[in-house]
Amino acid sequence: MRVIVNTFGADIKLRQEIVLEPASASLRDVLSALREQYRAPLERFLNDDLSPREGAAVLVNGRNMWSLDKFATTIHEGDELTFTVMVAGG
Amino acid sequence: MKGVHGKLLEVDLTHGTTRELPIPEEHFRRYLGGRGLGARLLYDMLPAETDPMSPDNLLIFLTGPLTGSMATGSSKFVVITKSPVTHAWCDAYSSGRIAVQLKKAGYDGMVIRGRANHPCYLRIHERGADIRDAGHLWGKDSFATEAALREADDDPALGVSSIGPAGEKLVKIACINSDLYRQAGRGGVGAVMGSKRLKAIVIAGGHDAPLHDRKQVFGLNKENYQRALVSPVAQARMKYGTPLTLNITNTGGILPTKNFQFSTWEKALEKIDSVGVHRSVQKNVSCLSCFIHCGLITEAAEGKYKGVTVEGPEYETLGLFGSNLLIDSLPTIIQANVLCDMLGLDTISAGNIIGFLMECCERGLISSSKADGFDVRFGDDEGALAAIEMMAHRRGFGDILAAGVRAAAQHIGEGSDRFAMQVKGLEFPAYDPRGAFGSGLSYAVSPRGACHRRAWPPAKEILGNYPPYTAEGKAEMVCELYDVNCVLHSLLVCDMPGKFIPLSMEDYAKYLHAVTGESFSMDDFAEIAGRIETLIRLFNVREGFGRKDDTLPHRTLFEPLPDGPGKGQCIGEANLDRMLDEYYACRGWDSNGAPTKATLTKYDLAEDVANR
Repeated sequence: MRVIVNTFGADIKLRQEIVLEPASASLRDVLSALREQYRAPLERFLNDDLSPREGAAVLVNGRNMWSLDKFATTIHEGDELTFTVMVAGG
Repeated sequence: MKGVHGKLLEVDLTHGTTRELPIPEEHFRRYLGGRGLGARLLYDMLPAETDPMSPDNLLIFLTGPLTGSMATGSSKFVVITKSPVTHAWCDAYSSGRIAVQLKKAGYDGMVIRGRANHPCYLRIHERGADIRDAGHLWGKDSFATEAALREADDDPALGVSSIGPAGEKLVKIACINSDLYRQAGRGGVGAVMGSKRLKAIVIAGGHDAPLHDRKQVFGLNKENYQRALVSPVAQARMKYGTPLTLNITNTGGILPTKNFQFSTWEKALEKIDSVGVHRSVQKNVSCLSCFIHCGLITEAAEGKYKGVTVEGPEYETLGLFGSNLLIDSLPTIIQANVLCDMLGLDTISAGNIIGFLMECCERGLISSSKADGFDVRFGDDEGALAAIEMMAHRRGFGDILAAGVRAAAQHIGEGSDRFAMQVKGLEFPAYDPRGAFGSGLSYAVSPRGACHRRAWPPAKEILGNYPPYTAEGKAEMVCELYDVNCVLHSLLVCDMPGKFIPLSMEDYAKYLHAVTGESFSMDDFAEIAGRIETLIRLFNVREGFGRKDDTLPHRTLFEPLPDGPGKGQCIGEANLDRMLDEYYACRGWDSNGAPTKATLTKYDLAEDVANR
């Protein structure tokens, strides 16, 4: 499975294409596989249980995982995963 | 109460007089300062239906109880008046040395009334104020004005606020500039200042207001600084500033694009977003009393505007002059930012109006003769810059645009009001509510018109767990966000550091106790916020505003988003009605949005209505 990954924090990385082999297409399994090969950059965004750290959020195609099907959200080929700190305002 | 002086400076420009006005200590307990105190003052002192451009309108500058204390983010001030563009309540916030200097001069604020016979400026000191001739400054831009006043005074700590040519010419989106790059931007406060022929305010104070426990203030700052050092949010903000928000709004599908026709813009990435702006950053800067140095000094790196420098561009400017106009040149946006600052225009309203103009031109709604041959299309860098100058100087068709997007749409007709993106006449900031319905409610009920400062619902709807495309739960959420910012804007602290470090309202209560010696509970804050928002609502009700004005443009209500995560979404009348009903219920207002008797009694405001 190919996913597009953005990280918005003290270091910003845009549109990184990453090929994974998750156990299933669920967000939980995709996050688990992603962290296996992308551990350091995701450290600041995810807790050990894969939930977002305090002050961080995980978006799937621009939607917060908590307003979708949470860890059961189905990830498709080419979907965009964004890991971000909770910026506020402009 | 420590931390405040309990007095205002009143300046009557018609008669050339000044005097001190006492502020009852009870006002600080009931309204804190800033927005809250301003609500009390404007409601009491401004007669109903006053023409905003008349000498009778009041221009009120206020500090808060924390101003001058060195509490984190406390160098803010607010300008309060009746807006010439909305004819409603207006509060415009800014940072600047003027806030601290006003407090050091011995005043919690100043009330300016009347109109001078000739251009003038105010020089305020601990003994009062002088009204001085500004004939030599009239016509100068804000940068030149500030430079001239600083040179004349030779005091590096001087606070200076001024208007540019736009304010002088009564352009209704004119702002007030401070410390070159800081603006009280929204609602036309610069036009009100211009209508009084007041070019600038210069303040040099002498002494800090006595604090209850200065050591405790410094202790809290130290503790919060340590928290900021380990906060990923604060670290990101310190490095990238507000441009980071563009990456979020683009990802979340709320980035205004092509006059709010679209909600995402691929071309923004690495050009005018956090990555693009970061490449042009020369250094980070802080406001006074803040260790979150989120201000960015940037320099245009290439092209015609190479070398042009600005503090910014902030997110709102990037959104409204960038994606909203389909301009992906950061140097052009930097130049637009500098032009607006110098000429004294609000970048939010200016970018919004130019986007509207571009859409009108592309739809063929403005004949060449009507616009004096001026034709500007999306992506036209030079056209956008020319439109700024036309508006600021009221040249040609710029005279129509200078009245704001609502008035411009009324002039143009042809159904253009359907895509004039405004509420109550104030132009939308850089968030498309179709991608986050709570933002729609927040814009609709805002007493000053479309406002991004009273609440920031994307924190809940894009970054939080609130489903974005539903009315459910939004009224309560917006009401809570409003109340938090109402307290912060009454204490007059920047609402940003609190979100990054993060600071809770309990943390602010600690600061408030350290400064004033007074204790405020969370229930006290909730009651104060409810009282302030209700009193501001009363002001607007007295001016004839009601539910009919708490609405959104046709595009937001009825045109489905064509792109982004919210593709197919629009808010619709039923959703807006539901959110309004529920918001009014949260506030204790009736179905027309007027505070009920029970609510007035709850907040001790019943007499205000009975006496009118």
